[in-house]
Amino acid sequence: MKGLEELKDKIHEILPDLDLVIGWEQGYDGLHATPLFIKTPEDVDRLIIGPLCVHNLATYLPGLKDKKVGVIVKGCDSRAVIELLQEKLINKDNVVILGLTCDGVINLTKLGRKIGSLGAVDDVKVEGEKLNVVIGDQQHNIAFSEVKQDKCENCIYPNALVFDHFIGEPVDRVENVGAEHQSLSDFEGKSFDQRFAFWKHEMSRCIRCHACRNACPMCVCRDHCVAMTRNPHWLSQENNVAENWMFQMIHVMHLTGRCVECGECERACPMDIPLMLLRRQMNRGVREVFDYEAGIDAQNRPPLLTFKVEEDNISEREW
Amino acid sequence: MSQQKFLASQSIGSFLETLLREHRVLVPLCEGDSVVFRPFRKGGGLELTRMPTTSPKEATFPRVETLMSFTQKVSAPQEEDGGKERPEIELTEHLPQDSTVVFGSRPCGAKGKTIFSRVYDTEAVKDPYFIARRDNTLFISIACSAPETTCFCTSVGGGPADSTGSDILLIPVTDGFMAEAVTEAGAKLMESAFFDAGTQKAEEAQAVVERAETKLGQAQDFSNAREKLLKLFDNESFWEEMSAKCISCGTCTYLCPTCYCFNITDETAGNTGKRVRTWDNCMDYLFTLEASTHNPRSSKAKRLKNRVGHKFSYYPSLHEEHIACCGCGRCIKSCPAAVDIRQIVKSAQEYEDVNI
Amino acid sequence: MPVYDGKELRIVGFLCNWCSYGGADTAGVARFHQATDLRIIRVPCSGRIDPLFILKAFQGGAAGVLVSGCHPRDCHYAEGNYYARRRLELLKRFLPVTGIDPERFEYTWVSASEGPRWQHVVQTFTDRIHKLGPAPLLSEPLTDAEMVEFQRQVEAGRGCGCHI
Repeated sequence: MKGLEELKDKIHEILPDLDLVIGWEQGYDGLHATPLFIKTPEDVDRLIIGPLCVHNLATYLPGLKDKKVGVIVKGCDSRAVIELLQEKLINKDNVVILGLTCDGVINLTKLGRKIGSLGAVDDVKVEGEKLNVVIGDQQHNIAFSEVKQDKCENCIYPNALVFDHFIGEPVDRVENVGAEHQSLSDFEGKSFDQRFAFWKHEMSRCIRCHACRNACPMCVCRDHCVAMTRNPHWLSQENNVAENWMFQMIHVMHLTGRCVECGECERACPMDIPLMLLRRQMNRGVREVFDYEAGIDAQNRPPLLTFKVEEDNISEREW
Repeated sequence: MSQQKFLASQSIGSFLETLLREHRVLVPLCEGDSVVFRPFRKGGGLELTRMPTTSPKEATFPRVETLMSFTQKVSAPQEEDGGKERPEIELTEHLPQDSTVVFGSRPCGAKGKTIFSRVYDTEAVKDPYFIARRDNTLFISIACSAPETTCFCTSVGGGPADSTGSDILLIPVTDGFMAEAVTEAGAKLMESAFFDAGTQKAEEAQAVVERAETKLGQAQDFSNAREKLLKLFDNESFWEEMSAKCISCGTCTYLCPTCYCFNITDETAGNTGKRVRTWDNCMDYLFTLEASTHNPRSSKAKRLKNRVGHKFSYYPSLHEEHIACCGCGRCIKSCPAAVDIRQIVKSAQEYEDVNI
Repeated sequence: MPVYDGKELRIVGFLCNWCSYGGADTAGVARFHQATDLRIIRVPCSGRIDPLFILKAFQGGAAGVLVSGCHPRDCHYAEGNYYARRRLELLKRFLPVTGIDPERFEYTWVSASEGPRWQHVVQTFTDRIHKLGPAPLLSEPLTDAEMVEFQRQVEAGRGCGCHI
């Protein structure tokens, strides 16, 4: 991500006409960025951009519908904004989009696998393709590519797809990458029984805190989620494998053809459950059957809101 | 101070196996990329270096517990009812019976249950389920030798080697732990042959604790937080600012060793059902939703205010200035938006109302 | 005579009111022999079927789930089955990642007059489910062997264990 000064200047310029601008600032330690809600020119000084800026800030937009909001987006985040616009969940007149280019953001879970505890990091610097992590008097040099978010590994949208102001120069998209992350085909190496057991194991850890749901920019029902109703009784209050599994099924089903694979669900999960596997599988189906990708063009018709009398890629009448 | 004994790292597995004869043993285990408390399995691994992702409160306050189960039956035709059948309900209460040992919690996690006790074990109110579990659970805690950037136990009356709530405190030294009995039950466990009174590494243990204390740095002074937070109760803009980035999930409450709110529901299937108690979450809209559909805490700002206020203001007012927080930092570390409760309290303490 | 007498598995069927439920009725009135594993739930239209109905049935331990509606161009509500087709196709393609064999789920079209076709659908699907056997259950604890395997993956430093 480049162009911090240009970005700051732009925010100073547009802030008088807005209620707030959402960006990132340094969090409580060297490792964590945290969302920043800029309301005054002084707040702009705290703004940072870079590989720590993982949060998809589009998540906050539906909750700020009656405010005039500026939002800073990476390429992947911009897809969430497009999807929200497409579904008329936000009003474009009230949103000013500041688009960035991005060369990847960090996955703290992967970093944790490299350095053990994440609890004592003083500072993180990216120097080219190297990540320099400072822990007390120790230094760890790690290849950035090894601790990027999964979505960055095969990112084909490094530049914001929708913006009012673009900061910096667009970077070339990486060619020859599959649309699908490797983890899914790896997972398919398992038998059905192994996969089923895998999810049972993962779901036994789920505390049903709903971080995956609340971090998701597409989960706009928030306080009125179908998973919370007593009638119909989709889920009981019990926290067990079957109920946790069902909750994840609800989340996936309600994202069909809408998920932009920003990965916030998996990042937000405090128990590190690899939820993106489920999303990737669903998105594979959407791609194969409808040749459709969510969050690319706000004028597109979502695949489940339309139909063809003769579908091109469905052959259900064969059996 | 009672006598210290040495527990060698390599004999922990065998020691825990002996405990399995009489107790359920919960230990921190790596699962995926997280560390969670799980029943100890013979020959299974332990994760004692990383701070557990979940808190050990599950031992005394499970995520879900069945309080009672019920079955509806139909009686034989009753003469006095003119030969009609009468529905009958068969109830079974489930009071916890088993005894548990938690091995490898940190002092902050073990302290959590003392905050529960002031609420669930009082003159007026006694929670039999919690009390039964608490009285049948032993905590063997390991003093903290590597405080993290999110740790602030010393700011809330704890410390890396605080023994409150533990039965045995272990201090990590070379090749093992120096063990110190905190309660009589703990002393009894330490009669096991795995604890060696001959090896003395008290000085090394002392140094480990001192290093951890130094690393934790200056404690934050929360003493005036109680009044300051109360003063800000009606200041909506303050709380809106504090909660702007909060996504209103339940990570902080569910991972918190001291959050004790629960929900009770009847879950039925056909003619049988059970009454279950589950963790509840004050960050959730439904927490205060009333039957009339009115919700006194309709926004995330009001809900976050409640969480911070409860821990640092209302609870201390009711319970002799004890803060309902053990400083483990899980709510900060695992928060998807990196909301920092220390910072919120500090902002409240430093807040100066320009309108007064 | 029921084919799997005494050994029935639990198969859940969601049938639209106008075509497939009528088709099942036709088959019944004509006294066609059918397997008796299927428990039918009548819905107004296949377009009413939320894919979550199917997943909920699997969550509850159903060995198979069958959906049947009006043939395309024949929907009582003109286009309900077109929407259903899209949703159900995506569900079928999603199932593999959960570890539920997608063969345990099928959707098809049977009209009210197609008694013999209904018999064919029920028999074919029931036979298929019996080949697959009872469904794996979420409520059943993991076996010791499975637990040991997961622990081994953690110890091998593979983190979540999905990357092997």
